[in-house]
Amino acid sequence: MRQFTDEELKEKVQGGYIVESVDEMTDGYRKALVVQLTVQADTELMSAPAYWMAARHAPSTNTQVSAHAIIQDELAHANIAYRLLEDLGESKEHLVYGRQPHEFKHPYGFDQPLENWAELVVANGFFDRAGITLLSDVYQNTSYGPLKRALVKVDMEETFHLRHGEVWMRRLAKAGGEAREMLQRAVDWMFPMTVEWFGLPDAMKRHSGQLDYRLKGLTNDQLRQVWMSSTVPLCEQLELKAPAHWDAERDAYVLDYPFPCRYDEEVKRWLFEEGEISWDDVFERWKARGPMNETYVESVQRSRSDVARWLGGGAAA
Amino acid sequence: MATTATLPVTGRVDAGLPVHLATHKSGGRDRWSPPLAELPGDPTAAVEAALNEVLDPEIPISLVELGLVYAVAWEAGVARVDLTYTATACPCMEFIREDVTDRLEREPWIDRVELVEVWSPPWTTDRITAAGRAKLRHLGVST
Repeated sequence: MRQFTDEELKEKVQGGYIVESVDEMTDGYRKALVVQLTVQADTELMSAPAYWMAARHAPSTNTQVSAHAIIQDELAHANIAYRLLEDLGESKEHLVYGRQPHEFKHPYGFDQPLENWAELVVANGFFDRAGITLLSDVYQNTSYGPLKRALVKVDMEETFHLRHGEVWMRRLAKAGGEAREMLQRAVDWMFPMTVEWFGLPDAMKRHSGQLDYRLKGLTNDQLRQVWMSSTVPLCEQLELKAPAHWDAERDAYVLDYPFPCRYDEEVKRWLFEEGEISWDDVFERWKARGPMNETYVESVQRSRSDVARWLGGGAAA
Repeated sequence: MATTATLPVTGRVDAGLPVHLATHKSGGRDRWSPPLAELPGDPTAAVEAALNEVLDPEIPISLVELGLVYAVAWEAGVARVDLTYTATACPCMEFIREDVTDRLEREPWIDRVELVEVWSPPWTTDRITAAGRAKLRHLGVST
């Protein structure tokens, strides 16, 4: 028997109540938490092959080590989130190895190829910043105790990734010439990619329950503003063009392009000139997944079955 | 302790990062003391005190508390720091070098920072100071 009705639980968590076990959850709460943790786990997991393939472009042994330390962190973060999902009755085995590539719930940004060192460090500077923006909001506001405790380590490590991104963006910007051109090209497609990542604007947001159950504290638009409030000044400092600016009258960062808009995956370019599209069009693109989706998922899943076969059909540890 | 400052403070690169993460990411820059106006009586002790404000990039205790600083000296405007890393393949070596140099170069009585990397004796957890251990325990990290 459930301890609380859905309405009771919502009221309790809004008052600061911390949920520690499944017994205290309602079905609605559990489902919303499973969705949130699945997105979190899949995002961490899929960043690993994306960064791993890009780490081949590291310019020295030391930078290889730094890049791989980040990949190791991401895998560990994924492991933490899948482990929490097991407490909720989900199967890690199924989630990691039993799903088709298109069933993973990570953002479209991590379905893209990262093809040079500039793209890897901008991913650290932009994507990992988005991760921190989302997860530190969860850390500060979540009503689920085990997740809050787990995020202490995760958020600390993500700041290392962010610093790696910023240090290298600064270095490439300062070098000028080809380094700066590559950096600007990465910013051009990765800035709008991250802006889109935060999802539907608040005015159109369907009710998700994540705020009612206090699984997060800020809305999509607020989180997008938090991300831009750091990223736009960073770009300005490095004299990189970013398609957004501070609007004092509106007391907010404002985008300088039609949002949302079409993206050409082949040439990695946002088609600003074609104007605004609908969010249904965006969801369709997300649902179809991006160009590296199958490659990344396969790289995570492939060896599981190979080694299991060598071991005579038993599952690998 | 509750953290604060989630909503953006415009125009700052670390805007939106909770305070503890911003401190952590910057090697503790937001908590570094202002530089001493003149040459202190014991410059070597002052160099060590300054280093004790530099946070490790991965664990939020100082490099001194972590036991990475092997020796400190000051002579005629040159601060010399013998330091090691927790591993020969430490992913944060560059960040540590940058943080140490930035902190010491703030001081008007330090013209130059000489970093000497030492690998012997190797770092072990035994080198973490009592103060460092107490902080780590508070953070839920056993040593």
